[in-house]
Amino acid sequence: MIPGILSSLIFIVTLYLIFSEKLNRTIASLAGAVLMVGLGLIFGFYSEEQAIATVDFNTIGLLLGMMIIVSILEPTGFFQYLAILVGKHSNGKPVLLLVLLGTITTVVSMFLDNVTTIVLIAPVTILICEILGLNPQPYLMAEAILSDTGGVATLIGDPPNILIGSAAGLSFVDFLTHSLPIVVVVWLVALAMLRYLFRKDLSQTPTNLDALEELNPGSALIDRKTAIKVICVIALAILFFLLEEILHIRPALISLSAASIALVWVRPSIQETLKRIQWDVLLFFVALFILIGGLQAAGVMQVLAGLIAQEKNLPPMLLGLILLWGVAILSAFVDNVPVTIALIPIIQGLGSAGIPTTPLWWALVFGTGFGGNGTIIGSTANIVVASLSEKTKFPITPKVWNKKGLPVMLGTCLVASILYILLFNWLK
Amino acid sequence: MKIGDCMKRNIIFISSEATIREAASQMTACHIGLLPVVNRNRKLIGVIGLPDLLSLEMPAFFNLIADLDFVSDFGAAEFIRPTPEQIDLPVTTLMQPARSVSENSKMLHAYGLMLKHNLSDLPVVSENGQLVGIVSRVDIGTAILSSWDKIEASNP
Repeated sequence: MIPGILSSLIFIVTLYLIFSEKLNRTIASLAGAVLMVGLGLIFGFYSEEQAIATVDFNTIGLLLGMMIIVSILEPTGFFQYLAILVGKHSNGKPVLLLVLLGTITTVVSMFLDNVTTIVLIAPVTILICEILGLNPQPYLMAEAILSDTGGVATLIGDPPNILIGSAAGLSFVDFLTHSLPIVVVVWLVALAMLRYLFRKDLSQTPTNLDALEELNPGSALIDRKTAIKVICVIALAILFFLLEEILHIRPALISLSAASIALVWVRPSIQETLKRIQWDVLLFFVALFILIGGLQAAGVMQVLAGLIAQEKNLPPMLLGLILLWGVAILSAFVDNVPVTIALIPIIQGLGSAGIPTTPLWWALVFGTGFGGNGTIIGSTANIVVASLSEKTKFPITPKVWNKKGLPVMLGTCLVASILYILLFNWLK
Repeated sequence: MKIGDCMKRNIIFISSEATIREAASQMTACHIGLLPVVNRNRKLIGVIGLPDLLSLEMPAFFNLIADLDFVSDFGAAEFIRPTPEQIDLPVTTLMQPARSVSENSKMLHAYGLMLKHNLSDLPVVSENGQLVGIVSRVDIGTAILSSWDKIEASNP
């Protein structure tokens, strides 16, 4: 009884600190994890060995490998190059510019970290808009919203997907066959809604088309050779992700192998490369795993499973929809990684109570992914574009986001729900 | 030699009650790049320079993108002008905290300070903080160099 109460208390307080942003999430979770192991030792419910065994090194390895690859690619100017290239191809037509910038950001962030992608593409977007005398708001918001939406389509597109994939045993191919079709439709709906909501701004006539013509993408690509090498490595990694099930290898090995190949081939300064790794994110994940492991060791999960088992009569489809919307609303206001990590043991609890969990995992994927579009703080990408826009004449305020972003979130979640119902048997 | 020996004593400065517009016309009229800002007691409270004023015209991307070599034309951004509301604000809204030296400061130290903080002009203040002069990098630099006359020629 005492272990259960203590571990739940540590977990709830840590989550509260993270969600209320009273403490940095990595600091809060690390302190919580250490406390969990310490009290676990004293009260005999959690050992150091158990704590280390709870860390899902598949998730950590996959994230680390992809971060190293992005870190090598970042200084080559590849991201800026892409943005300038599509900017020029738009010929200054606002709608085309929105579609092209949104598409390129989405495609890149389906495979690479979407925060890095946004951080590098958004300033170029502001540049293109300022040169053309356009309001950058629609383009910046489209990049954030569309890349977050597109990230749902792949195993490596978004950290919650990696967590869910690892916990539920969903592979890269599973994501392509189950999530991608739904995301394509939802993405197009999001694009159409943005087009409609920003119709006024998108009917602006751009000026100074010559200045756009004169942008030179080639000189933004500072290190062409390295960029080509890294892209080859990414292509190779994707190929192996597709063959994952046939070759019986885990995504972490593929991602770390790709990172090693890239490091050997490019031989960048390792200090500089590792400096750009988001160590705080990795540490945050490790600490959260240890926290959840403590809850499991203390028997809280079994109690939870018992409680939910009483609600067994709820139709699975309804349960999925409740989960999708509940998670979406939560993710609109708080970081979706702790939401995901907190819900994983709950869904596992449902599984041990005999409820089929596969459709629930997909509901979690869609909820965490699409929900983040709802508010200006819903995802890191949103926060990044909003803070960059503050330096322009057209800052994206919470009010602007509620007017344009929230309807998109509601629309995409609605479409996702309809598709979830229609394809429920396939998702099972 | 001390700063007091090479500084300019007839200083062009601006009152903290002036507007940004007045600072701009003062700079234009005198063709200078830095104005010390003083209060009623002629106490130095800050400085305002060309970059501070021109930040009102600079497009946002200028500060967001490290390497602008791929841009050869600022396009529409070339025509950004500050709004009347922006330039009728008090000069203190754009003012930067001032680094200053005293009349008794040594030259090389003052020159080092300018180099480290990338300053081209340095206000000089009295003990109670009143503005008494201004010194440029060239003023100090040439004053130091002038002492080289006294270095005897080497006899090879």
